[in-house]
Amino acid sequence: MRKTLTTGAAIALVSGAAMWLAATAGAQGGGTIEADVKYGGAPQVEKIKVNKDTEKCGTEAVIEKVVVGGNKGLANAVVSVPGAKGATAAKGVIDQHGCKFVPHVVVMQPGELEVKNSDDILHNLHTYSTANPSINKAQPKFKKTMTEKLEKPEFVKVTCDVHSWMLGWVAVVPGPAGVTNADGVVKIENVPAGKQKVEVWHETLGKMEKEVDVKAGAVTKVSFEMKGK
Amino acid sequence: MRRLALALVFVVASAVPALAQGDAKAGQTVYEQKCLLCHGDKGDGKGPGAEHLVPKPRDFTKGLYKIRTSSNKTPFDQDLHKIVTDGMPGTSMPSWAVLPERDRANLVAYLKTFAPDVFKEAPKKLELPKDVASSAESIKRGKEMFEAIECHKCHGTEGRADGPSRSELKDEWGNPIAPANLTKRWTFRGGSTRTDIATRLANGVLGTPMPAFLDSVEKPEDIWHLTNFILSLGPERPTYATLITVGAVSEAIPDDPNAEFWKKLTGQYVALMGQVIVDPRNFNPAIDLVAVRAVYSDKEVAFHLTWDDPTESKGDGKQTFGDAIELQFPPQAAAGTERPYFLMGDANDAVYLLRWEQGKGVGEASGNGPTKVAALTGGEATGKAVFSNGHYRLVMKRPLAAKGEGRTSFQPAQFTPVAFHAWDGGAGETGPKMSLTSWYYLRLEEPQSNRKFIIPPVVALLTLAAMILVVRAANRTR
Repeated sequence: MRKTLTTGAAIALVSGAAMWLAATAGAQGGGTIEADVKYGGAPQVEKIKVNKDTEKCGTEAVIEKVVVGGNKGLANAVVSVPGAKGATAAKGVIDQHGCKFVPHVVVMQPGELEVKNSDDILHNLHTYSTANPSINKAQPKFKKTMTEKLEKPEFVKVTCDVHSWMLGWVAVVPGPAGVTNADGVVKIENVPAGKQKVEVWHETLGKMEKEVDVKAGAVTKVSFEMKGK
Repeated sequence: MRRLALALVFVVASAVPALAQGDAKAGQTVYEQKCLLCHGDKGDGKGPGAEHLVPKPRDFTKGLYKIRTSSNKTPFDQDLHKIVTDGMPGTSMPSWAVLPERDRANLVAYLKTFAPDVFKEAPKKLELPKDVASSAESIKRGKEMFEAIECHKCHGTEGRADGPSRSELKDEWGNPIAPANLTKRWTFRGGSTRTDIATRLANGVLGTPMPAFLDSVEKPEDIWHLTNFILSLGPERPTYATLITVGAVSEAIPDDPNAEFWKKLTGQYVALMGQVIVDPRNFNPAIDLVAVRAVYSDKEVAFHLTWDDPTESKGDGKQTFGDAIELQFPPQAAAGTERPYFLMGDANDAVYLLRWEQGKGVGEASGNGPTKVAALTGGEATGKAVFSNGHYRLVMKRPLAAKGEGRTSFQPAQFTPVAFHAWDGGAGETGPKMSLTSWYYLRLEEPQSNRKFIIPPVVALLTLAAMILVVRAANRTR
């Protein structure tokens, strides 16, 4: 009787452990999505003359609304799998550097955004949001970093009123996500296997979505062709 | 447990001064009568009167309020109530203190219904750092901080709203917005008490480029040093002149507007309004105040004028024009109170204009209406202007006695009508699009005569002599 109990307990433990291992392995053994975002239209880039802080800002500011790279690749597009769990919650980091927001588009999990000022002049961080509380905080030269909270999923426009051309975006997205490079390509790793909804967002061109069947341990390719607004 | 709840209610109630809970439905009736014309029936700030207003009437649907004593987005009921009651200086929003208290409380309740989501979140009280009384050291530290956090980027080096970012500033709705002129604190939207200013610095002005500085100064008490510095930049309010006095001097009058001579004289402040009688009307005049210092000698009369203008503009002749200012007088002293039409005269009665324009200097003209101005030649008017940090200083001089037709002569002890016109050419003001005043009076002080130094001693000597005579006579009869 006693032996049976012990054996039963052992079996239960082993099987439980095995199940746990299997579950973990399943999450870690997700697939990779390689998204390829294209745009057939013309790039939209505005250039304006800078009349102050030229030592830090240069004499010409470039406002990049639509950046199209080689082979019609659309840069600065956010590709995300909003429905998937298990993304690592890394802090978002944006830098006010050379009177530009670097990077132009930051992707982060809901949580904290670190805001740097590498310019040694006054900037401010002005966010335009509805889901998150709007922020308008000064960042003088001696305030090298600030930490702000963006806890709700949203695409948040950020500006600096001191330098009106400065424009950046913070994509607060749950789930695995990334920003396309100059060729319009991004790889998103650790996407759970199975059918997943993949979403593309671009500051000027809007949103698109597709369903993708992600296979564990494999790269699934998906391509998008953004339409002009 | 119930006791605890009751205690909690007390704590919450005592933390914030009680304001009668308004009735939104009753508030709507008041709103439709008093507020709708500018703020619109949907509360979106697009009422029929909104077109000409700068700054634009508030759009209540976003629930963004400039003036808050809360640290989050939601204002306290008291914040809204205060704006309704006191109005907003420097804007078209008047004080509604004439409305009964109940109506104002009801209005506040109704305003909140335009942005229910914002008001779902309770306001959190902003905690200001410990107050630091003003002192020379505190003001000095405030100035250091003013420079370190680069307030000048928008507000200008001397606080006259002339910073390099000035022309780029937009509000949350994309409308251009001007930074505050820190030397004119009577125009501060949210009031000009120490606490008002410290609060604006600490939590910013929502919906505008003005950011929060509470966590962005070196030490928390810097908020108060900055406040003390800002308070030192200008008077609480200007002392407006009712009569322009022209002092008599015997020495030579300096041409340089920055000369020590002028600094010793007290400025006589004159308020200007936009010209809204003839087209093109100027609903949002850029220049609202001119300080006048004036003196005369036996030869000439001189006017020292100072005013704020964010840009020194010669103009491109299309969108911008030369900055200008002028004094207007009737060409001859009339008997009684009759004067030419105040708006640069009319067909029957001309006015004499003593004018300075950027790039052109001082000149004289004759006006028969705002569009009928003819230059007078052969005059002896001279002048010099300097511009620095959003501020003009100008000296205009002319002989006392008129030279030629159409010019005014000045005589001591006589009341001469005078009016003021100003143009901020950089803001597109030219011709009838200007700031002006109605007629004022100007009076040249009687010259200081030497008689006051001679007559009293003579009287004293004579009295003494008479006394001696009386004493002698009395002694003799004894």
